[in-house]
Amino acid sequence: MIILGSNSDISKAYLEYTLSKNENYSETIYLFSSNIERANKYKQHLTVIYSNISVQVLEMDLTKNFDLSKFKQLNFSHVFCATGFLGQDTVSGLYSKENTRKIIDINYSKLIPVILELGNILESKKEGSIVVLSSVAGERGRFSNFVYGSAKAGLTAFLSGYRAYLSHQNVHLMTVKPGFMATQMTAELDLPGPLTAEPLKVATNIYKANVKRKNQLYVLPIWRLIMFVIKSIPEFVFKKLKL
Amino acid sequence: MKKTISNWGLFPSVETEKITGKTTKSVSEEIKSFDKIIPRGNGRCYGDASLQNHIFSTLTFNHYLAFDKTTGILSCESGVLLDSIVKDFVSKGYFLPITPGTKFITVGGAIASDVHGKNHHKDGCFSDFLESFKLVDHNGITHFCSKTENIDLFWSTIGGMGHTGIITEAQFYLKKIESRYIRQESIKAKNLKEIFDLFEKSNDWTYTVAWIDCLQKGNTLGRSILLRGEHAMSTELSVNQLSLENPVSKPKNIPFFFPNFILNKFGVKLFNFLFYYKQIRKFKSNFIDLETYFYPLDSIHNWNKIYGKKGFIQYQFVIPKHTGYEGMSEVLNKISESGEGSFLAVLKLFGANNPLATNSFPIEGYTLALDFKLNDKLPHLIKELDSIVQKYKGRIYRAKDALSTPDLTNYVTSETNTKFVSLQSERYKK
Repeated sequence: MIILGSNSDISKAYLEYTLSKNENYSETIYLFSSNIERANKYKQHLTVIYSNISVQVLEMDLTKNFDLSKFKQLNFSHVFCATGFLGQDTVSGLYSKENTRKIIDINYSKLIPVILELGNILESKKEGSIVVLSSVAGERGRFSNFVYGSAKAGLTAFLSGYRAYLSHQNVHLMTVKPGFMATQMTAELDLPGPLTAEPLKVATNIYKANVKRKNQLYVLPIWRLIMFVIKSIPEFVFKKLKL
Repeated sequence: MKKTISNWGLFPSVETEKITGKTTKSVSEEIKSFDKIIPRGNGRCYGDASLQNHIFSTLTFNHYLAFDKTTGILSCESGVLLDSIVKDFVSKGYFLPITPGTKFITVGGAIASDVHGKNHHKDGCFSDFLESFKLVDHNGITHFCSKTENIDLFWSTIGGMGHTGIITEAQFYLKKIESRYIRQESIKAKNLKEIFDLFEKSNDWTYTVAWIDCLQKGNTLGRSILLRGEHAMSTELSVNQLSLENPVSKPKNIPFFFPNFILNKFGVKLFNFLFYYKQIRKFKSNFIDLETYFYPLDSIHNWNKIYGKKGFIQYQFVIPKHTGYEGMSEVLNKISESGEGSFLAVLKLFGANNPLATNSFPIEGYTLALDFKLNDKLPHLIKELDSIVQKYKGRIYRAKDALSTPDLTNYVTSETNTKFVSLQSERYKK
């Protein structure tokens, strides 16, 4: 299993849930992260709990040039991608060039080639599955974080088409669209309690949906309804809102 | 970004800016720029411990570092919750040697409050199983502390409420268990004399604690149920009880604050009556899962909301053994007279203390812990209870000292620098 963005609370919850559901997990777990020190700490942590697993830590920093050939030597059949960067919102960072570059690179422009490379490898094996975390923010560009939203919108559209392509190659691709989640990414934000999902709950939902080979998943399911409402607001009203 | 936080009692609260711990390197960098900061774990203590305008959260230090099966020593970062240890190690045949009534505290918090549990009379406090830890002091320097290295810093950090610095990792023993079950005996006691006798007779049991009805008077003052327990051996159990695997549990949740009138004298009296009489026979013996035995409240998330928005305090004191009966009787009479007090009242007999652990709360004697809903009458009641505890040369637990006089917790002497201060230690200086 390859995990992109392995230091994310969601990645950890997903991996640990997978291990709890699959005793004696024999495949090598590849943890890709931009923070190697923390990823190695997590690897050590895992080996204390699960004495029989094989874990490798590899660096993947999408703000720098990443060598895609790293994936070629790896043996995997499942990919979990939680790579993402929220960045500063409109009010605090709209015109920061660095913020914009980072949001676009990590969430879209440098991520697409990575997904294509991994999909290509699975295509040649004619088997496997990929789970990618996009976001409900990609459903409509909103006042508060439309640079992030637009990157996620691009990602969602890409995944939709690539899913169609890969389905003819016996490879499954699932798009996960989380709403609010209680993770390190949102630690500074004031999120509404009932709408904010815990990592374990999100991971459980993703795992079960992937097993069922679902195409798209909203976590929590209520977000499908919320985004339907948001998308239905006419533009002349929407532009006045500071959502 | 500032946030309002409080401890488990929801009183008091403070506006704080949280600094999140990332790696050991940046701890000293992080804290250099603050004049006043206090480390904070999961905030399950009460009152104003670990509250300050700037707090250093250790919750991101949540990794295991190593586990040695031959010695049973677990090495982990200080933000690891006891809950994680229970989840990950009971299935391997290991349990915590000392645990308080909730598993939602961090290892760092367990050291800073030197927590105790139902087996204090036999096994002591958390520090009795603590080998070593790493601490970042007020100058940003990391020290390795143990019983043989940096000995003064080791003992002043234990029970030191975070005033000596930030614990980043610790090494301590886990204990081997054969099953997930506790063989429990529950024995009803009509009054305080009976329960005290039962505690004396149960000294050989590993775990002893009593639930006590604080609203009884006269002949039934101190009516209680003793719950004594031992880890069940595999030979005592049936085949389907031998698995160490974690059962699937569905915790309940209190979704909103209860209105004030729910927890009044009548409600508590009714609960206490039902709780005591639901056990029909005087003596009952059964096997119960260890999570139910040790953490009955943890399965109800946010149970503190039962006390309403104003919050509550938990009051825990200990009175030396030789005057324990008189002291406890006087306290119970005062509580019963006031009509305050909750259905969650716990009585225990502590064993002798470790003379090296000078900041630690337990001394040989009887301890009572109970909750009081916050209201206008409470400060006066606490003053009266404090003076009884003082009269009998007892003391109060620092992790539960809101509204109490500082004289009753002056066994803690860890405030040696001006950097790591909490609202609690500032209150003491006034």
